[in-house]
Amino acid sequence: MLIGLTVFLGTSASRLFKRFKVPQVIAFIIIGFLLGDSVFGIINREFLSAFSPFNIFVLGITGFLIGGELKKEIFGKYGKQFINILFSEALLSFVLVTAFVVLIGNMFFDNSAFVWALGLLLGAISAATAPASTTDVLWEYKTRGPLTTTILGIVGLDDGLGLVLFAIASSITFAIVGTGAPAISSMFFHILYDIGVSVGIGILGGFLLSLIIKKISDKYGIITFSLGIIILILGISDFLECDVLLSAMTAGVFMTNYIPRKSKEMFELISELMPAPYVVFFTLFGAQLNLGNLNLPIIFIVIGYLIGRTLGKGLGANMGARISKAPATVKKYLPWCLFSQAGVAIGLSILASERFPGEIGDSIVVIITVTTFVVQIVGPLAMRIAVTGAGEAGLNITEEDIIRESEAKDIMDINVPFIYEHMPLAQILKTFSETDNLYYPVVDKNQRMLGVITVDHIKNSLMTTGLHSFIIAYDLMEPVVAKVSPDLPMTEVFEILNRYNIEYLPVVSGSDKVIGFLERRQISRKIFSKLIELQKKAEALG
Amino acid sequence: MKLNNYIDGNLIFLLQENKKREVLLQMINSICENKRLNNKERVNEAIFYRESLMSTGIGLGIAVPHVRIKGIKEPIVAVGIQKDGIPDYETIDNIPVKIVFLIIAGEDQHKEYIQILSLVVTKLKQSEVRERLIEAKSKEELYQILIS
Repeated sequence: MLIGLTVFLGTSASRLFKRFKVPQVIAFIIIGFLLGDSVFGIINREFLSAFSPFNIFVLGITGFLIGGELKKEIFGKYGKQFINILFSEALLSFVLVTAFVVLIGNMFFDNSAFVWALGLLLGAISAATAPASTTDVLWEYKTRGPLTTTILGIVGLDDGLGLVLFAIASSITFAIVGTGAPAISSMFFHILYDIGVSVGIGILGGFLLSLIIKKISDKYGIITFSLGIIILILGISDFLECDVLLSAMTAGVFMTNYIPRKSKEMFELISELMPAPYVVFFTLFGAQLNLGNLNLPIIFIVIGYLIGRTLGKGLGANMGARISKAPATVKKYLPWCLFSQAGVAIGLSILASERFPGEIGDSIVVIITVTTFVVQIVGPLAMRIAVTGAGEAGLNITEEDIIRESEAKDIMDINVPFIYEHMPLAQILKTFSETDNLYYPVVDKNQRMLGVITVDHIKNSLMTTGLHSFIIAYDLMEPVVAKVSPDLPMTEVFEILNRYNIEYLPVVSGSDKVIGFLERRQISRKIFSKLIELQKKAEALG
Repeated sequence: MKLNNYIDGNLIFLLQENKKREVLLQMINSICENKRLNNKERVNEAIFYRESLMSTGIGLGIAVPHVRIKGIKEPIVAVGIQKDGIPDYETIDNIPVKIVFLIIAGEDQHKEYIQILSLVVTKLKQSEVRERLIEAKSKEELYQILIS
């Protein structure tokens, strides 16, 4: 019941928020907050704990899909740019957050070890950017272009860098707080283990999945095998205590580069499954938020974290983009696109609370939860403004998207020549010779629909002799099987075309006047031109 | 395909009427009785509507009123001869119509419909055939001319 409530309320809220052009992820978080302990108490801590494996599943699928976007052609084109931006924004964020937290912490706490531990760990966590909510906004606004590609590359990679920084920060923290920290060499071994094993599991899992996918073609098989292998990858990574996100992402990278054509359908099918899980994931995150643990020092540290992270990410991204001579839109708008943090940051905060139980761990969890809530409100909004400003929104549209979002009036041919019912054959032939339509509406003197003349009818009449003087359109036309109104969705137009197995549909007004015409082959042509136009727009951006 | 296949001896008339409307009504009436069609009103409406768009008087004394209607199972051809002519039947050459071929086909019999029209026109292009039809003294004689 709670899951159903979560999905229903989250989805309803997102529809409402969409009217005000607010990203749907914010709606999910707010609904979750209202359902959680802080307000109505419908979703409690026990329920949230039980959903930990689900969170890993959603994060894993997200990582896999992000990996699927990282094609080698992109790295060939953008590799140097990614590395420069990645290190600039992640490291500057780490440095500035650590500095701000230490500065503010020293004002409220006497224990400098505690303050430095907090600073370093929060600094490391700040490097990560939320892949799920970031890509959610990109997918929601169907973006395409250099800014989108850069964002996808960065959010996919900076989690890995965040893990490395966290491992380093953890080891230093162990040393500072004196809890029997492992030696530096063990620390590096742990980092190597974490990343190396995660990548290894991802590659092996991806290879196994590619062998299976190559042999099957039915959608049911593709989905079930893909999900099965991904869950296996996540499970093994979790069991071996390495990074599940990195494993899943590596598998995605492997698939998209090893079997690009076959894996395209697989990624699309998996993407189609994700809307409902995302609703649950972000709603449950919102439900975790508990404002009761906030005190004045924590509030100031939260502010310091937010300022340090915003400046670090923003300035670092801009600096990295300039160094690597990225396109103008990337230099200008990327700083606005890296604010979001969610699953990875929260996961690391939970990890910190386990490694450093007590004041350090508890503080980190509260700070990350509150800051995540804030940046998840601001981040998607800022990103929406950025991708729209960069001109990349609406460029990543598929043929299915165009059909889904169009009505008959958007696609119909409004210039189709009418054949009046009394028009003699000679004139009909002239019209045929001057246009490339295969079907023509036959209308009365008031342009009301009577029938259709097809090229087959013309052929039949041409093959017979002696008819030119008295055959008119009325004699040649065939009755119309179906007609549509101009505001009928194109999905329904196709359904009618397929149901009656016809190649055309007249578009008529309320008084049965013909106002347009739809021919199946012309529909395809029009949609294709639209796709080419969007593709050219995206390419022109850099 | 041969015109003979559609000529029905029961649907050949030596017309008494000499007004276009009456001629057509008479022929339609006979067709509906003979073929047991129960949509006479629909046939009347369709034939006269077609005439309103463009007269089917094609010249050389020939008229070919024709229409396609839902529910007709196979094409029907009726032939009427008015020796004295039907003066109010509009034609392209002002020669009075004396030979009327009334053709009714099913809505989906487009191909047969066009072919029958073409066969009629081809047959009647020959002046000898037209003269023999007009001079014929009985329905049986007409029938023999048409199927020859």
